[in-house]
Amino acid sequence: MVPASSILIVHPDRKTQRTVQRILGVTGHRIDVADDLDQAMRLVAHSQPVLVVIDGALLSEGAPEAPVMGRLVAAAKARGAEACMTLLGSSAAARIPSILDLGAVTNLLVHPMPVLAEELTVTAHKLIHGDLFGAEKYLLWGTELHEVVVSRGSQRPHIVAELAERVRGLGQSARVASMAMLVADELISNAVHNAPVDAAGNHYRRDLPRDQELELDERHQVRLRWGCDARYFAIEVTDRFGSLDRDTILLALGKNDVREDGGGAGMGISLAYRSCDHLVFNLAPSARTEIIALIDVRYPPTERMPASSYNVFVEKR
Amino acid sequence: MTTENRARMTITEQGDALVLAGSIDETAALHELPARARNGRLVLDLAGITFINSLGVRDWIRMQSMAQKAGLAVELRRVAEPVVHQLNMIIATRGSAAVTSFFAPYACDSCGREESLLVDAVANAERLSRLDPPPMVCPECKSAMAFNDFPERYFSFLTV
Repeated sequence: MVPASSILIVHPDRKTQRTVQRILGVTGHRIDVADDLDQAMRLVAHSQPVLVVIDGALLSEGAPEAPVMGRLVAAAKARGAEACMTLLGSSAAARIPSILDLGAVTNLLVHPMPVLAEELTVTAHKLIHGDLFGAEKYLLWGTELHEVVVSRGSQRPHIVAELAERVRGLGQSARVASMAMLVADELISNAVHNAPVDAAGNHYRRDLPRDQELELDERHQVRLRWGCDARYFAIEVTDRFGSLDRDTILLALGKNDVREDGGGAGMGISLAYRSCDHLVFNLAPSARTEIIALIDVRYPPTERMPASSYNVFVEKR
Repeated sequence: MTTENRARMTITEQGDALVLAGSIDETAALHELPARARNGRLVLDLAGITFINSLGVRDWIRMQSMAQKAGLAVELRRVAEPVVHQLNMIIATRGSAAVTSFFAPYACDSCGREESLLVDAVANAERLSRLDPPPMVCPECKSAMAFNDFPERYFSFLTV
């Protein structure tokens, strides 16, 4: 039985429309297709989309459609849409800054168009079914995930160095090991120092010197998991505070410079995003934050996309 | 997992340069560097830097700022790839430093070897300004190696 809810695709290219339609059709939802944002606005008024998928080119700086896009997202949200997802092809690098500036795009997938099946399917299933957590969703069946619990702040450099050695031990390049080191370091540092909040919402460990020893009780412990399926090297870091929010993330992703007094969650997230191919935020507010970084190990740098994808998923209560 | 140490940053003097090696992170004493400048020049050899995180980036920017306030001319030599990536991602890390040489990724199409090779930024300045990587020879099979990144991305630190 076909659910009453739908998925709305907004893209001017017929071939991409058909490809995305085929991929998302497997979710069982009715697929509505619009060539432009005005047509999409009319469709939203008469439907209940769970997901809106928009061509990233429509959202670029200076594009006449940009203001309409804001209204479309608002209208879709009011009708129950879970998220706004944007697809970007080879022009990604130039378009990402203006998309991030919008602050409304919660899911950005960068991939040579029109083939986008893996990322699109995983993203759609997570949004529609609300089953958000776990790096397993991005790795092939049977891939082993190794786990380390960080119970002291001083463990971070050792764990990161060990991770890099394990990456090299898997036969991966020095470049992949270097990316994995940086991502793991930033995400663990963020989980140990920026995630903890008190009842008033104060980040009470944010300003502590990072080289100062910190014993982490059960609540403050951080879990690192990692695994590789020969397509992606995945790094997953989880804290038990769930204090990171969507707006902070979108602001941090758009950050491309740092003040002298920089640091903090924003800088770490920004560096992690630029050092991997896909960064996924799974947020359970006040309960846990899980961040998954995927490094594509299939291709040499010159055959990879010059920009990274991201997702921000928020668990429904 | 075992707990092997990440190498802390060390500073040694070699000729007119201070040679930095290891990790630039929260433990690196970068603030000490400007005081060790000679004749108004702070020359840093960065070939041995293996890692730099956001806290290291913050301290690096502070160090550059200190050097600038002290009127020092900063020269970066043999800049390792992890530092090049930061110079490309975070514009403020470049400060007013002059990069005279740096390591860049190359790959051999014939034998598949990947190597980080030293590029002389002064001798190749004109070529690099055209985003044209200098030719390199594979140390293993002697075939021509190809630049293994996007030139417009990897060389962007040379443009500001």
